[in-house]
Amino acid sequence: MADQNWKTLLHDRIPDERGQEIETFAGQVELRRQHKLDEKVFAETRLRWGIYGQRYDNGQRYDGLTTQTLVFPAGDLTKGPNTYWDAPGMVRIKIPFGGVTPEQMEVLAEVADEYSDGILHVTTRQDFQLHFVHIDDTPDLMRRLMAVGITTQEACGNTVRNVTACPLAGVCHDEAFDVTPYSKAMAYFLLGHADTQDFGRKFKTAFSGCEQHACALVNMHDLGLLARTKTVDGEVKRGFAVFVGGGLGTIPHQAKLLSSFVTEDEILPLAQAIARVFARLGEKKNRNRARIKFLVEQLGIEEFSRLVFEERDQLPHDDRWTSYLSEVQEYHETPTRQPFSLNGQAKPDGFEAWHQTNVYQQRQPGYVAVYLNLPLGDLTSTQMFALADLARQYAGDTVRTTVEQNMVLRWVSEADLPDLYSALKVIGLVEPGINTIVDITSCPGTDTCKLGIASSRGLSGELRDQLTAKLPTLPDAVKELKIKVSGCFNSCGQHHVADIGFFGNSRRSGNYLVPHFQVVLGGKWKENAGSFGMAVGAVPSKRVPDVLEAITNRYASERAGAESFQDWVTRLGKKEVKAMLEPFTHVPAHEVDASFYADWGDTREYSLGDIGVGECAGEVVSLFSMEIAKAESNHFDGLLALDEGQYAKADEGAYRGMLLAARALVRTRFLALMSDDPTQIVEAFRAQFYDTKLFFDPYAGGKFASYLFRRYENPPTTVDADSARRLLAEAQLFIEACYACEARVNGAITDLPGS
Amino acid sequence: MIPFRAQVKFFLENPDSVDGSLFVGVFQRWIQQKALDGLLIDVADYRHVFEGPGVILIGHESDYAIEYRNGRPGLLHTRKRGLEADLPTQLRNTFRLALAACELLEAETVFIPRLKFRADTIEIRFADRLQLPNLPDSFERIKDDLGVALAELYAAYPVQFAPVEQDARYLFTVGVKAEGVRDIAALVRHRQPSAQP
Repeated sequence: MADQNWKTLLHDRIPDERGQEIETFAGQVELRRQHKLDEKVFAETRLRWGIYGQRYDNGQRYDGLTTQTLVFPAGDLTKGPNTYWDAPGMVRIKIPFGGVTPEQMEVLAEVADEYSDGILHVTTRQDFQLHFVHIDDTPDLMRRLMAVGITTQEACGNTVRNVTACPLAGVCHDEAFDVTPYSKAMAYFLLGHADTQDFGRKFKTAFSGCEQHACALVNMHDLGLLARTKTVDGEVKRGFAVFVGGGLGTIPHQAKLLSSFVTEDEILPLAQAIARVFARLGEKKNRNRARIKFLVEQLGIEEFSRLVFEERDQLPHDDRWTSYLSEVQEYHETPTRQPFSLNGQAKPDGFEAWHQTNVYQQRQPGYVAVYLNLPLGDLTSTQMFALADLARQYAGDTVRTTVEQNMVLRWVSEADLPDLYSALKVIGLVEPGINTIVDITSCPGTDTCKLGIASSRGLSGELRDQLTAKLPTLPDAVKELKIKVSGCFNSCGQHHVADIGFFGNSRRSGNYLVPHFQVVLGGKWKENAGSFGMAVGAVPSKRVPDVLEAITNRYASERAGAESFQDWVTRLGKKEVKAMLEPFTHVPAHEVDASFYADWGDTREYSLGDIGVGECAGEVVSLFSMEIAKAESNHFDGLLALDEGQYAKADEGAYRGMLLAARALVRTRFLALMSDDPTQIVEAFRAQFYDTKLFFDPYAGGKFASYLFRRYENPPTTVDADSARRLLAEAQLFIEACYACEARVNGAITDLPGS
Repeated sequence: MIPFRAQVKFFLENPDSVDGSLFVGVFQRWIQQKALDGLLIDVADYRHVFEGPGVILIGHESDYAIEYRNGRPGLLHTRKRGLEADLPTQLRNTFRLALAACELLEAETVFIPRLKFRADTIEIRFADRLQLPNLPDSFERIKDDLGVALAELYAAYPVQFAPVEQDARYLFTVGVKAEGVRDIAALVRHRQPSAQP
């Protein structure tokens, strides 16, 4: 027993190749511990193994009074630049198509118990994440997961991330066919593939069974595959419409159609060809322009398509392209129980409300899929063990996670629903409201993410609590709305595709910073993320519940017939939307109401000190506020012009907004700059803030400045809706970055009272 | 033998009167004040999860959670990292740190009424399924060492301990009951000098 370790104990249960890869990683951990491996190399290595840094891993934490230095026992040893060895980190666990077996669920629960804090978090890519994990524990964690067929490999880093798929695949009424075996084949074909190892950025892939629903969101993926059939010579052929170059991020891009029909035997080689083109021609140095969407935009979809198919023709044959197809025919999931309808059984209290929102009638008569509404995507290891039991007892051999951070038990006999409900109630998993306004998606935000600006989880939890209490009385049109929250502009919470989205930012008020959320309205979740919302204004974080109530009340009362939320927002117009938000934008003075100066779920005075080190000039610059307001006004005029179809005017509004924001910033240092001349403004901004790197965000670097420079250097010859919309979105981010820079440079971040 | 992680839970005597949201502020203040031994890093709030870890004060060597498992709130101390020489020493340190946190919480005036932890009933868990799976044999392996550590903790108070019968997949857990001990302060007073690290 004394010599027992997980490596030897699990040796026979881990495939040789995978086991060797884990041992190589374990060796690299040891080498880095001995300073024999470069920290940058190790950082990229661990990222490729799904091991991320967490907030405060640079050894600095703002405690509400001052920034404390966290002195870790391992001293100066790092696991990456400015990332201390002992600092707790996050481990992302890949779950292809979101499918987990009861046995895998048990091991996930075990590792959450022993290496993390007992919590499993479902992500918007159907992964699981564990937080507060020590780097020393990761090799054993990987061994235990791999022994049941789960890997963390390429869950992070510039790799092919988890391949997602509709959680109802195989049981859905509207799908062309079950995409499960295809998504699984794609995930394992691309995992560790030689052609996917040299990307400039990450690469996300999704499979959907139909066009109308949102379950897989193919329109916002680097590679999206939409199931289709085609009759050729009287025979029905399976294939996929293939989309490329979609993505959210700071500026959302709708994917472009690469091919309307690719036969099933061609999807793997086509994905390989896309990977090769991306690796060969994609941006490598500037990570802010390195996603494939920028390459598609730069080349145009026609040229990109030509290059991909040319590459496809040159690929050396690989048996794996088609070998999985025999398994496709055989693929099936085995229900535990026979199908029987729900017929007169006694129903426990609360059953009806739960049944109404959380139960989906499968295509197969007598079977239903049961959604588990996980608050903020979290569940405990104890709940996971119990769920594994319930899956064995009532469902099939595969449980699914969803991109909305929930889980699904499929193949439940309808007659078992009352008993299953009662069993789920014992473990606290019968919260109704799936696909309603209370089913809020949120990224980790400032809870654990190094990039977080505001508390997305804190806000989401507050909104969820408030809305759950009101849910029975909400009008149906409001109940059906989607809310998604991101802690910063990077849209990990998918705020662009929600009816009502929020992303975190901050504003300065006197010598204080105030957490804010930008309101994003009119995104479309349906139709595989059919359209993206637009930012309409920032409000203090503590005002968001009031803002939400105002928006939803007005929608409910002014909605014309069956008018969608998107149509209502469009009809209302941005001017009116802005006016609706305006009463909520006021921030009371600190001495009047200090609660505005702390974030949700956090008693500390709000600070951005944890995400960057600022300089201290120490004086309130009210001129900046006046100047930046002009920038916002011009930007808003651009938004109105976009609504009116005046795209050139919209472009001009966005550009003027950026110029004025840049000038506002320059004037905090160089009051004499009064000119409206773009060249003078851009040159002064470049000299004062870009070349000096004062404008640089600790993580985004000079990315947002590039939006201004690009528009200045390359004025458009023609402007269409897409380009106008994009420049407006870029201008919004540039203005936000100016706010952040001013606060950083003039002291509100680090120069807090008492510090 | 030193388990990977040892945990001890002191149950709240008056759980119904506790406002769980207050722990966020209390723990954040403890980080400011460096109120406990070891490196304190962050606060994680999981109150939204059913019978979960509640609010956790995350540290490097130790975590302190107001845990709600099985509907029985209490302070769960997890000894995560450290260089103890043997199991009795690890347990001594685990008890010492947990008691220190309980004492501090009982002194917190933000809780009305004040928090009070039971001293007569504790639960010890071993988060190490490799060395100590939840099997009868595990109890035999730690019984003597645990007996030594508990005798030191409870001094003259009679104490009984036995494995908790539960799902075999859960962490190996030992339930402890002592007779006559009134409160946390009594345990702190009665801890043997040898329990000091």
